[in-house]
Formats: sequence, structure tokens, C-alpha cells
Amino acid sequence: MSVLELPSVREESWRWSDPEAIAAAAAMPWSDAPVDAAAYFLDLPGARIVVRDGVVDQAASDLHRVTLGHVEAAEHALGRRTAGPGWVLDLAEDGAAHPVQIVHVSTGGSNHFAGAIRLADDATAQVVETYVGAGWANRGLSVTLGKAARLMRAVRLIQAGGFTSLREDATLGQGASLVTSFLGAGAAGTRIDATIVAGEGAFAEYGGALLTAGEQRQECAVAVRHAEPNGQSHQLWRAVAADRSTASLAARVEVARHAQKTDGEQSLRGLLLKRTATVNLKPELEIFADDVKCAHGATVGELDARALFYMQSRGIPRARAQALLTRAFVADALDRIGNAVVREAFAADADAWLAAAL
Amino acid sequence: MLKIENLHAEIDGKPILKGLTLSVNAGEVHAIMGPNGAGKSTLGYVLGGRPGYEVTQGSISFDGENLLDMEPHERAAAGVFLGFQYPVEIPGVSNVQFLRESLNAQRATRGEAPLSGAEFLKVARAQADALGLDHDMLKRPVNVGFSGGEKKRNEMVQMGIIDPKFAILDETDSGLDIDALRIVGDGINRIMRQPTKAVLLITHYQRLLDYVRPDVVHVLADGRIVRTGGPELAHELEREGYGQVAA
Repeated sequence: MSVLELPSVREESWRWSDPEAIAAAAAMPWSDAPVDAAAYFLDLPGARIVVRDGVVDQAASDLHRVTLGHVEAAEHALGRRTAGPGWVLDLAEDGAAHPVQIVHVSTGGSNHFAGAIRLADDATAQVVETYVGAGWANRGLSVTLGKAARLMRAVRLIQAGGFTSLREDATLGQGASLVTSFLGAGAAGTRIDATIVAGEGAFAEYGGALLTAGEQRQECAVAVRHAEPNGQSHQLWRAVAADRSTASLAARVEVARHAQKTDGEQSLRGLLLKRTATVNLKPELEIFADDVKCAHGATVGELDARALFYMQSRGIPRARAQALLTRAFVADALDRIGNAVVREAFAADADAWLAAAL
Repeated sequence: MLKIENLHAEIDGKPILKGLTLSVNAGEVHAIMGPNGAGKSTLGYVLGGRPGYEVTQGSISFDGENLLDMEPHERAAAGVFLGFQYPVEIPGVSNVQFLRESLNAQRATRGEAPLSGAEFLKVARAQADALGLDHDMLKRPVNVGFSGGEKKRNEMVQMGIIDPKFAILDETDSGLDIDALRIVGDGINRIMRQPTKAVLLITHYQRLLDYVRPDVVHVLADGRIVRTGGPELAHELEREGYGQVAA
């Protein structure tokens, strides 16, 4: 245990974690510099919530269908710290809400905050979250989806410094669908930690793009557990590492003995923009059923030198050619975002990251 | 327009070009023929500025400028176009986006205003039509899933859109059937047969030269130009083989 009481990096699921970075973020001084949270809201109807240092800024927020209350947290080294006051989106059967947007602003030190999304049968929701500022933002989220409920989530991690850690636990009912896309394109350290339990015929898509530069470290450690038959899951992650940074992707699929006809896909790909950068990939499969389809792929490489020269020979400067090829590399992950407004905003953040990194 | 003098170049320390001298004037089409391994493609890549192709001696001037001082994208903006023997596939980047980026990057390097999307599409469609390339292929990722012939036609569409001053076409005829050969040949004539432009055609065979009549034919063997002549030299090569002519 470190000073933060985090598991040791000798534990397999924490091997690429960066407790020192979390400790350093938690010790960041508070900053008085104003952060214009509203600037990060996208042009979508519905709830707009500003969470400033772990507290909902009610004056700056329009809660819409979201309520505030006590939220329990799962037993998890990071997640359990978030138990307490939190936000809740609770939709009754057949309910549908406008998108919920949450901008989490950290100004220094550490803050912990929990959320819960509970969708009854056939309910549908969309949630878009953005992390900005600096310090340690630690979040827990529990998701419960009823029969055929659908949740689309998109999470932008663009803190200028510090650390963002997310712990998510999701339970998907029969035929429910959870689609979650992350973009890590800030300068903070990141850990995305999740367990998704998929019910019969449930659909889980959980993935995204982590872009790292400088000395930054970002990682995800995600497990999808198919507890019942006929489930489908896709874990598609793209990591781009520049300079001396490290991106680590650990994705796991577990198929229970009677979860026959499970269709699981894992696609983990890393791109090194510099040879001093590191990408760690760990696809894991644990299959106890005998009639399943689980495809998995993991590759790490550099930009194709032939393609770079081809583009340069047509007049495109080298840095721009690198940006276009890198953008194409992460497109697989970002193009999956269904909402065009959200997709374009995420693409713009990725482009801004590339313009700065190359 | 192009003046190459005593050019020596190597790859990984292995000398490939060993004192090549060549001069191409505006309004001319030159063909470079030669056996496998003579250094034909290396010449193309050295002119394009491909990394890993190291010039150890000699000079290349283009319109009076030192070509070797320029980055590959600057050479393109100066008017040099390199048609690839094996055009590269670029997944995730559409042909339209690639071409528009290329053209506007060149215009930016030359200090010209960019073309709008609509202006660009008009030019792109006209060139695709002229070369019999389906408009749908403009939207597809660059060269991905294209047949060999389609890739070569796509190279010519790019050349038409970019409208260069000087084109180096590396084995543009390989992988083309007879009909495609004629379409590509017509394309080269239409785009490049102008008093202000010039072409260096790198080829193994005489057949493309039936459509694009060269003014000068050179034989490249073991890194040097060993013979230079008129169009009849290409026929002589076809008849007698490189062994005889280059000896």
C-alpha cells in the first residue's frame, strides 16, 4: 500500500498505474485562475451540470432530469473514496431524457464525486462528460440498465494537469446496450478502471483513444464479464504515445460457463510517435463456455514511412502528414460516437492535441 | 529545367547511382530505360527526396534551384511530381481529403490562396472523368482496395489535379492492360505535353512509348547513363535487349 492506500504496482491489474502521479496531483496547489466551465458544454439540449472540485455548482447548472443525493460506491481502491453526495439520473420504464452534460472542473488538490445512472426497461439516455482544470479528480460511476435499456456515454479527459481517475461499474440487463467512448487528450495522468457485467443478449461497447505526450501516463484497465448467453462486446482502444509518455491498455473479456454464443471483440492498437515513448497492451480472455466467438488483436507500431513520404511527395509537410496519419489511426475509436455534435467536438480535441504534439 | 550532374547516391551504404548526368529541357519528354537493378527507381526517389536515399556526390538543379536543399514537400510545391511504381495505401484518409490537402499545401507553400471544397471537387471530378476513374473512388481511402490499374490511374488523376511542371513517372505502365495503357498515355500527353513542362518516364518496356512519344531515350545501366538517343533507341532495345545495347 502506498500513502494513498492504493494497491501495489506488483498487483497485476495495477501494474501500469502511477500512484506517484496521483499523489503529486493531490498535492497540487489550489489555483485562483478562473475556468470557464460553460465553454466546454456542447450545443445539445438537456442538463448542463458544472461540478467544481467535486461539488455541483448549482448556480451554474441546469439539472433537468438529474437529481442530487447520496450515492454508494463499489468496493474499489479508488472508487470507494467517491461514496457520498453525487448525481443521479434515474429514468422510469420507456423514459427518455435529453443528453446530460457534465463538466468536471478541478482547481487543485483532490476531489471525489460519485454518479449513478439507473435506466429502467426500455429507457434511453445520453451522457457526455468533460474533465478540465488541474488537480486530482476521482470519480465513481455505477450504471444499471434494465431490459433493453440504452445508454450512450462519451467522456473527454482534457485536464491541463494533475490526474483523472475513473471507476465504473455497470450491470446490463437482458438486451441492454451500453456504448462508452473515451478520449484522453489532455496533459493529466489518467486511469480508467471499469467492470461491465453483461446480461443475456446485452451489447457492450467500451473503448476510445488515449493520446499521451511529454512524460504523461494514461491507462485503462477494463473487464467485460459476459454472465449470460448471446452477449456481444467490443473493446476497441487506440493509444498514441509521443515523447517519453506511456499509454497502457489492459482489456479483459470473461465468459461464464453458460454464456454460450457470446461474441466478444478486442482490438488494441498502439502507435509510437517517438521511439522513446511506450505503449503497453494486454488483451486478456478468460472463457469457460465452449460455443463463443472472441476475436482479439493487439499491435504496436510506428507511422508508415512509405505513406509519410508519399504524402510529402504530394506537397504535404511532414508534420501535417504525421497528423493526418495519426488522426486516421484514432478515427476507428472516435467514429463510433453516434451523436454528430459530440463526435465532432471529440475530433476537434484530437486534432488540437495532434497540432500541439507534432 | 532539370540538370543532374555526376550524381552518386547510395542506400544503406550501397552505391546505386554512380555518376549519372542528365539534362531535361522544358517541352521535352525523356524516357529512361534499363534492366532491373540499374538504379531507375532510385533516381526517381532521389529526385523526390525520399529519406534513406543518400546523395554522396554531384548536384541536381531544378529551374536553377538546388533541389537537394529542398524538403520533399517543397520539391512538390516547386513543381516536381513523382508518380509511384507502387502507390501507397493510406487507410482512414480519403482520396478527396488527401488530394485537397496536397493541392492546398502546395498552394500555401507558394503563397497562394487555398481552393474551396466546391472548387476543388470540380477540378477533381473533371480529372477523374478524363481518366475513367469512378467518382466513388475519390471518396474511398487512398488506394485502399484499388486494383493495380486503378492505383496507376489514381496517380494520373493526382497529377492532373496538382498540374506539376515536371513529372517523374516510375513504371506508370506496369499493371495496366491495353485499354488502361492508352487512357493513361493520353492522360500524360494531355496534362504534361506542354512547352512549359517536361517529363521523365522511367520504364522497362517500349509499349508506353507508343502512346507517349519520347523526344530523348536514355539507357541506364549500373547507375550511369550509358547511351542516349532518339525514339528509335527504344525500339532497338526492345529488339535486341539491354544486354546488347548497354554493353
